[in-house]
Amino acid sequence: MSPAVKRLLYVALLLAAVLGLEFGFDHLVKDAAWRQLALFAMVNVVVALSLNVINGLAGQFSIGHAGFVGIGAYTAAVVAGNVDVRLGPDDLGSVVRLCARLGVQDEVTIHKASDLVKSFAVMPPALLGAAFMASAFGLVVGLPSLRLKGDYLAIVTLGFAEIFRLLIATAQTGGDQQGPISAAIASLGGQNGYAGPLGTGVPQFAGPFWIFGAVALATILAWRIKFSGWGRALRALREDEIAAAAVGVDPTAYKVTSFVIAAAGGGVAGALLASMRDGNPTVQPDQFTFAYSFDAITMVILGGSGSVTGAILGGVFVTFTVKMIEQLQGLDAVQALKAAHPNLDLNALRMVVYAAVLIALMILRPEGLMGERELFRRTRKLGPIGKAPVEPVPVTTGAEAAAAKDPGGEARS
Amino acid sequence: MNTAHPTRPPPKAKAGEVLLSVQALAVAYGGIRAIKKVELEVKRGEIVAMIGANGAGKTTTLKTIMRLCPIAEGKVVYDGRDLADVVTEDVVDAGLSLVPEGRAIFPNLTVRENLELGAWNHRNANAIAETEADVVALFPRLGERMKQEGGTLSGGEQQMLAIGRAMMARPSMLLLDEPSLGIAPRLVADIFEAIARIADTGTTILLVEQNTRLALKYSQRAYVLRTGEIAMSGPSAELAQNDEIKAAYLGG
Ligand SMILES: Nc1ncnc2c1ncn2[C@@H]1O[C@H](COP(=O)(O)OP(=O)(O)OP(=O)(O)O)[C@@H](O)[C@H]1O
Ligand SMILES: [Mg+2]
Repeated sequence: MSPAVKRLLYVALLLAAVLGLEFGFDHLVKDAAWRQLALFAMVNVVVALSLNVINGLAGQFSIGHAGFVGIGAYTAAVVAGNVDVRLGPDDLGSVVRLCARLGVQDEVTIHKASDLVKSFAVMPPALLGAAFMASAFGLVVGLPSLRLKGDYLAIVTLGFAEIFRLLIATAQTGGDQQGPISAAIASLGGQNGYAGPLGTGVPQFAGPFWIFGAVALATILAWRIKFSGWGRALRALREDEIAAAAVGVDPTAYKVTSFVIAAAGGGVAGALLASMRDGNPTVQPDQFTFAYSFDAITMVILGGSGSVTGAILGGVFVTFTVKMIEQLQGLDAVQALKAAHPNLDLNALRMVVYAAVLIALMILRPEGLMGERELFRRTRKLGPIGKAPVEPVPVTTGAEAAAAKDPGGEARS
Repeated sequence: MNTAHPTRPPPKAKAGEVLLSVQALAVAYGGIRAIKKVELEVKRGEIVAMIGANGAGKTTTLKTIMRLCPIAEGKVVYDGRDLADVVTEDVVDAGLSLVPEGRAIFPNLTVRENLELGAWNHRNANAIAETEADVVALFPRLGERMKQEGGTLSGGEQQMLAIGRAMMARPSMLLLDEPSLGIAPRLVADIFEAIARIADTGTTILLVEQNTRLALKYSQRAYVLRTGEIAMSGPSAELAQNDEIKAAYLGG
């Protein structure tokens, strides 16, 4: 099979798989809460994969990834909301006719099909807008801070994410002096969240098709980045910046570009989060606190910094662990404890358990679940490598051997 | 060993003409002068050594030539081109390669990945395969360890890798910063022999060393750097007979 045909086949298979998930996911995972959690885990996988590019591969410590996810979420909510309003109410006609011709009569399936059709008008602009907006902010944040060495990036990203969140959370529609920018920010709903242009909720078009599709694309991209010459340059930078510069890798250019890519990926994850089907139809600033950035870092480090497989495992693992620990609050023993000590902050207790799990894992596997390795090793196509000569390289002449034997005799002043 | 770069023409300077000239160079780290006035010249095809005590400014000089340090005063001219406003990537493109002090290989990358990164400035598949084979011929020990992580090599092997990585760029001029540092005598001899073979291919070499005896033996000319200034210079054979140098650097 020629490579082009092979590639086409892969694309077709992938499309079939995500389409199958779109219609079959309800049957695969029957419980709605679990389904919700699984989709959220997939969004977190995109978060982890994107953060892994800058934190894992390039070795730059960004601790404000939630900021980019948030920017993506708000951008997508605004774009999707407006596109949806513009499109008006569903016109099921053609979809119903198509389904009838295919012999599908199931109401739910017809509804899903029409949603999917409509999502093709709403999701692409929302995803692209989110990616674009997040990467633009990534450039603004990354350009100055990545020129400097050391931990500047950590401080700047943390500050940036908090500024973004607080700006939206505290904005209020106000008096006559309010300028257009402030009014625009205030229109995002402040602490209560943004619920679309009409306040009726952000359209929820991201079902399994878009979410699993995004995971697949993000995985492929992350893989290609890691194993391209580009990824190798990033890893070299991470290990020794001077040496990398000395072989001709431009540190700033590579760091900034990878940061922008990571931000764009975060934005896409945010768009999915905002439009997740059966999810929260409002986008709220509290979704993007430092705790979420921290979870994202945990996913990367726990999975294994620099490993694509690791980021996927980490994303899934952290999502479920956080959820499990939340569920502990429902246990009878915990409830009894709470009854006995009314001042007990169960939320704080949850963080203690979470921290304990993380510490235990880091002791057991200090390099993360995967280290830098992958589940499937990539087989490399490479040109021939010359054989070592059979004869050893002649070492020295007599005089040189004498000199070589006694270098300690030379004064090292 | 084919050292012709796939795209860059050879230097304009002919054999024996000045290829690199460092003129009244001064470099400061946050106000403190690390080098005050360094003057040196390397002619095409030469091996020139720079010797001097700890902290004399040898590493700083090499890093500044590569434009890894800002120039406070003076000039670095390579093949007629002032490198004042040239960034490091472009210095590599121009034909200079540095083997950094303390080896500075990429420890978590395999030997092969380290080598291939050396070819970053051309990324020409044929040239990569060819030079990789040449490097393996030069350092057979590396050939057996292509898939090993760089950080797990012995000190001497890491030095070989660092030199090999620099050669992958197909440089016209190689800057070596203390290739003998912390390496067993037997391997030091191997490494100097390899450097001589690289020089035989026409690659110009500026060699920084504290192992004065070997440096003077393998080089044609040498400079002595003392507290950021050139204190002495001349043909290596003459310097090796100089009483002051014998007393200070050759243990009497
Ligand atoms: N990054 C830096 N910041 C501040 N001072 C520095 C820096 N790097 C070097 N120096 C100082 O500059 C001077 C010259 O250092 P350099 O590393 O060039 O010496 P050297 O001749 O290579 O010494 P050695 O033989 O020990 O490697 C020293 O006094 C050193 O402390
Ligand atoms: Mg030094």
